Amino acid sequence: MMIVYSAIDRSNIFNTDPVYSHLAYNEKTVYEYSKYEKYGYLTYSTYGTFVGNKYKAKYGDDYATHEDYKAAIEAIKDETTYKDNADVKDFYSTYSSQGYEVIYLPTIYQGRRLLSNATLLAKKEYPVIYRLWTYFSQMFQFETIWDVSDPDLTNRGIHIEWDTYSNMPALVGNGTRHKYLIYFDDQFPFIHQNIVHINLGVSYSLYRDDDLIEIMQTKTGSSIYEEKEPPAKIGTGETVYTSYDFHTLTYNMGEPSELEKEWYPDKYTIASSKVGGLSRMGNSFIMGIIATIGAYLLGIPIGIWMAKRKDKIVDKVGNLYIIFIMAVPSLAYIFMFAAIGTSLFKLPYKFANATVPILGYILPTISLMLPSVGGLMKWMRRYMIDQQNSDYVKFARAEGLSEGEIFSKHISRNAMIYLVHGIPASILGALTGAIITEGVYSVPGVGKLLTDSITQYDNGIIIAMTLFYTTLSVLSLILGDLLLVKYDPRISLTDERS
Amino acid sequence: MAQEIVKKPLDLETVKTQEEDSLFYFVDSNSINSEKITAPRYSYWRSVFRIFFKKKINWLILALLLFIILMTILYPAFNPYDEYENVIDATWKNLSPAEAMAKSGGFSLKYLLGTGQFGNSIFNGIWAGSRTSLSLATICAAINMLIGILIGAVWGYNKTLDAVLNIFYNIIANVPYILLITVLVYVIGSGFWPFVFALTITGWLGIAYFFRTQVLIIRDREYNLASRCLGTPMFRVVGHNILPFLISVIVTILATELPSYISMEVFLAYIGVGLSASEASLGRMITEAQTAFTSFPWSFWSPVAIASIITISLYILGQNLADASDPRTHM
Repeated sequence: MMIVYSAIDRSNIFNTDPVYSHLAYNEKTVYEYSKYEKYGYLTYSTYGTFVGNKYKAKYGDDYATHEDYKAAIEAIKDETTYKDNADVKDFYSTYSSQGYEVIYLPTIYQGRRLLSNATLLAKKEYPVIYRLWTYFSQMFQFETIWDVSDPDLTNRGIHIEWDTYSNMPALVGNGTRHKYLIYFDDQFPFIHQNIVHINLGVSYSLYRDDDLIEIMQTKTGSSIYEEKEPPAKIGTGETVYTSYDFHTLTYNMGEPSELEKEWYPDKYTIASSKVGGLSRMGNSFIMGIIATIGAYLLGIPIGIWMAKRKDKIVDKVGNLYIIFIMAVPSLAYIFMFAAIGTSLFKLPYKFANATVPILGYILPTISLMLPSVGGLMKWMRRYMIDQQNSDYVKFARAEGLSEGEIFSKHISRNAMIYLVHGIPASILGALTGAIITEGVYSVPGVGKLLTDSITQYDNGIIIAMTLFYTTLSVLSLILGDLLLVKYDPRISLTDERS
Repeated sequence: MAQEIVKKPLDLETVKTQEEDSLFYFVDSNSINSEKITAPRYSYWRSVFRIFFKKKINWLILALLLFIILMTILYPAFNPYDEYENVIDATWKNLSPAEAMAKSGGFSLKYLLGTGQFGNSIFNGIWAGSRTSLSLATICAAINMLIGILIGAVWGYNKTLDAVLNIFYNIIANVPYILLITVLVYVIGSGFWPFVFALTITGWLGIAYFFRTQVLIIRDREYNLASRCLGTPMFRVVGHNILPFLISVIVTILATELPSYISMEVFLAYIGVGLSASEASLGRMITEAQTAFTSFPWSFWSPVAIASIITISLYILGQNLADASDPRTHM
């Protein structure tokens, strides 16, 4: 993670930036620094702001018309003499003493035409450790009633209010960034909060300046328009036809418009649209869950069947399938599934092309499921064959138990221990894993986000995704261990030797 | 008691008849013969290959793989692949084999599989791409296996190192491998050797861990203990007692590792990192042709097929060799 942070070439940020490609010469360099500062690589200050502040303190607000200020700004235009100016010397000494590096960009002419004005700026790079610290310290952000810095805002506080949009109580804040802190609605997971925000990282290029959690939770369908009462008109029965979800209101620092004054009783006027469909995380999760359940339901019985008919035709066909899944590049077999699905079953190839939304999920889910079926088959077959000759199975057989009883009461109990251990990992893995599947079928999901961010050089998202995936993976391992303890009484996580 | 037993043959001798005399005769005890050990001569590697070549399918796959390897070495050497040789002439784009051959005037090996979206020869491309894939897989496997096995062996033997390396392993192994590689390749940049670096910097860790477990299992078996008690030098214990058991383990790892690097290349090419544009790559051929996989099947399915054939034959050969190299199958 640290390596990722320091080693990714930061100039990649600009590869897809439309503003950047329109700028040239010194303006381009200044824009670069402003972006670097925004994404936490460095801090910088220009001579212009420095001189501005200096003369503002000296002459007050109309400093810009003063001769001294104009002279100071003019001073840097001449490449040969700029260093003799008192203001420039001041700029140098102020910033050099704070550890800044001062950069001078001379005026660029093409013949006699002025292309770019001279610029003087000072920058300080943040060390990697500092950036890591700011990253982790800003990860959890809590909303407090002092968040809005509007001096006109009175009676800050939090209270519970009857929410007419859901007909449930809601926690409403005044002074917090969001109006509704905890509320219910008809969207999964039905109860929502705006108190704690997890900031894993901000997108540089793909989704300008949105953070990862927001991107993953944003729904991907089209806007839903409904007849609703705006907050100022609750109880009057007067409705407007809008897509705004009034639960998402945030504080507006600017002056509200006439319409906003009519609609909202307070300055919480910025609402986002209510959008249908599933979020990226929702898409990945639904496909992942179904694929995991399907894989277990198919893989285990087939594995047992193969073990019972060892070296028969079933076993041979099954083994071929296992070899196919294990050896062939996953991209290749996903395309094979896609080809079979589209030509034989007439299923839609691309997710967005599905006329009935459900149909779009079928092929990606099957493509996710079939490889894990192969893995489970392989494991189950091997396990069954090994256990057939173990002492406890021989003993059970000698007792006269039927093969069915031996399996359901003895072998399956032991096999389940391993299977249970893998369940959390496969569910969470499905959430993350489907990188290729989602790419092939263009499903808007979490896995697609990583491929998109790599092709778009979106370093912020890549770092955030790395952390997200790693956290999930650790979480699934811990969950697997906990389930194992619950299922197998022989295993204990605490040391009982004392 | 002792006297009775001694007596018995004497009694038998007295009742012996004339007929039996002609059938039985006394044999002298031969001191030289009794020193010989009657077990057949056993050579480990000869037995491995005897078992391996008993299966007809192995001959077939080996021949196929040798043919592919020869082609990947020889064919690109005589027919260098240039993806952009026909890029200016749009009439060469996406031709079926029949069209391409008609256009080039008669049968030609080069256009046996048609042309791709840049007018590139698919047949030349798959061999050049296979060469990259195979050399990548061989180099990565060689580096990872060497480091992995050496470190794994020490890891299994040394208990203090075990504690340290376990912590290290737990940290690295918690990050999904596919993600780690993706980000590494993205960070390091594209090209053959950066790619090898990304695949080998942590790739050995899993092998080492697996190998460590195997060494741990075998190290303290009774026969090794006995061997050590009798004063067998350590290298001989490792070479004669432990390694034969682990050779099948090593071959099993190899059987899964080699195809996995080829798959990894295809995967990374798909998400847009990996080899640079100047290197022929099966992964990039598949990715570039993916939009055309229904309309121009030749350009898409040919690299997919060759990648699948190589990986499957490597996998099957490896698994069968692993079975054959297990001494328990030599009986």
